[in-house]
Amino acid sequence: MTTITPQQAHPAQRTRSTSLTFGGVLRSEWIKLRSLRSTTWSYLIVVAISLGMALIMSLSMASGMGGGLDVGAAPADQQAQFLLQASVFGVYFGQLVAGVLGVLVISGEYSTGMIRSTLTAVPKRLPALAAKAVVLFVATFVVGLVANLAAFGVSSAVFAGHGVSASLADPAVILPLLGGALYLALVSVFALGVGTMLRSSAGGIAAVLGLILLLPTVLAMIPAEWAQDLVPYLLSSAGMNMFTSTTAGPSGDALGVWVNLLIVLGWVAASVAGAATLLKRRDA
Amino acid sequence: MITAEGLVKRYGAKTAVNDISFTVRPGQVTGFLGPNGAGKSTTMRMIVGLDRPTSGSVSVNGKPYAAHRAPLHEVGALLDAKAVHTGRTAYNHLLAMAATHGIGASRVREVIELTGLESVARKRVGGFSLGMGQRLGIAAAMLGDPSTLILDEPVNGLDPEGVLWVRQFVRHLASEGRTIFLSSHLMSEMALTADHLIVLGRGEIIADAPVADIIAGGTRPRVLVRSPQASQLADLLAAPEIAVIRSEAGALEVTGLAASGIGDLAAQNGLAIHELTPLSASLEEAYMALTADAVEYRTEAVR
Repeated sequence: MTTITPQQAHPAQRTRSTSLTFGGVLRSEWIKLRSLRSTTWSYLIVVAISLGMALIMSLSMASGMGGGLDVGAAPADQQAQFLLQASVFGVYFGQLVAGVLGVLVISGEYSTGMIRSTLTAVPKRLPALAAKAVVLFVATFVVGLVANLAAFGVSSAVFAGHGVSASLADPAVILPLLGGALYLALVSVFALGVGTMLRSSAGGIAAVLGLILLLPTVLAMIPAEWAQDLVPYLLSSAGMNMFTSTTAGPSGDALGVWVNLLIVLGWVAASVAGAATLLKRRDA
Repeated sequence: MITAEGLVKRYGAKTAVNDISFTVRPGQVTGFLGPNGAGKSTTMRMIVGLDRPTSGSVSVNGKPYAAHRAPLHEVGALLDAKAVHTGRTAYNHLLAMAATHGIGASRVREVIELTGLESVARKRVGGFSLGMGQRLGIAAAMLGDPSTLILDEPVNGLDPEGVLWVRQFVRHLASEGRTIFLSSHLMSEMALTADHLIVLGRGEIIADAPVADIIAGGTRPRVLVRSPQASQLADLLAAPEIAVIRSEAGALEVTGLAASGIGDLAAQNGLAIHELTPLSASLEEAYMALTADAVEYRTEAVR
């Protein structure tokens, strides 16, 4: 028990130097993100998938080149394309992990009741969602970039034996690597919005994975032209085209990098706007 | 200082809180008492803005909770002991909560010490007992050194030592001039801890008065009388508004007439009186009398 100290100032009149700020909420969300095991595991898996896929892809591509085709003599931009294809292949799988993490960041708070602590500390609510989005975006972008650069290193090492090389200083090389990381970060923020709207881990993960994995397949199976026309506007289609269309050339994609980025941003904006509306309106 | 005016909360067709107005004043412990489902937790959640009132308003220190520049410095709330992510350590939970208001790690260590959580602070909350969860909730509520403290069922799951600690703790905080608003369904605990009571039943305020007044007003006075001529006295006392129970040989329990009246009656009739003791009612009896009509879920008496 604390001893009673009557000379202490009346607590109601005591002045305090600290107050609620957005910087503080950002720091709080960063502490929350880094202090959970699910975060560490998710990011480790993103890096591991990138490295593993880059290794498998570059090995199989390199062995396919063995017969007659002398890639070492190919033009520099073609060499860069081979390398990039192998390096960013992991993003296709990494987006699933980024999506799951994005959902868990908020649904974990709903399932444990933590959300009530969060919203008591930040009663205006929207700064808490914004801080979560910013922290998740930055952390996922950095991890995605590290993963892509490391994957590029692995691919380079494999291809070097075949006389194929590319420079990171080449904008045609570094921009797709940055674009892949940007897409991962945007998927995680999109998933954060879905998780906020659905308030459930199972529901949120099912919705995000369904949208990324199932919807393109389902649309492709519908024998109608409108269904095929919709495919490029899906989150995962536009997202993958966002950083592979410049390199993978023959994908036949009519939309440019910027249009694809805008489509992805549209998905993210819709998700975050829906999340903000519901978070503000609902009882916690 | 908490002020609620015409507070209403409906969930669909069900009215959880029906037009309640009250004031919780600084410098004392105000108990919030009522059967389960009476609307206590809903009211407390509305105070800190987690639930939006259907109508009416509630303010803390003159402003709605969310309008304060530093809400955690105004109000500390323990609303649900499990409002913590189970995968995080107690220390990191407190650190994250503190960071929103720029409160440093030294204050986090202070509240950990204050609540006796030193040995488990670095453990993940998922493994905590209910009692440790309550202590962590109180630690989080104290982070901002708030002038108002809202505690929903704080002694729930605590061992006797913990119950005593909470009682002394909130009494000490009230003596510092803070506003303490404490809910419980345990009448005995309230009798020992609270100065003032707000009793809620079926979403409405049944009583809002000092504890002593509620005890006095809720029950009729009873007097224990011992006399060698007990049965003669009982016959003399017989009247429609007076109830006499013969509890043992030579002893009567009289309800409906004060001790002075019984003594006078005995003297007039020349009867000897060996004991004349006014029995003070317990808060529990007063509470049961108050809420008899307001209990949501009643159990049949065991036969």
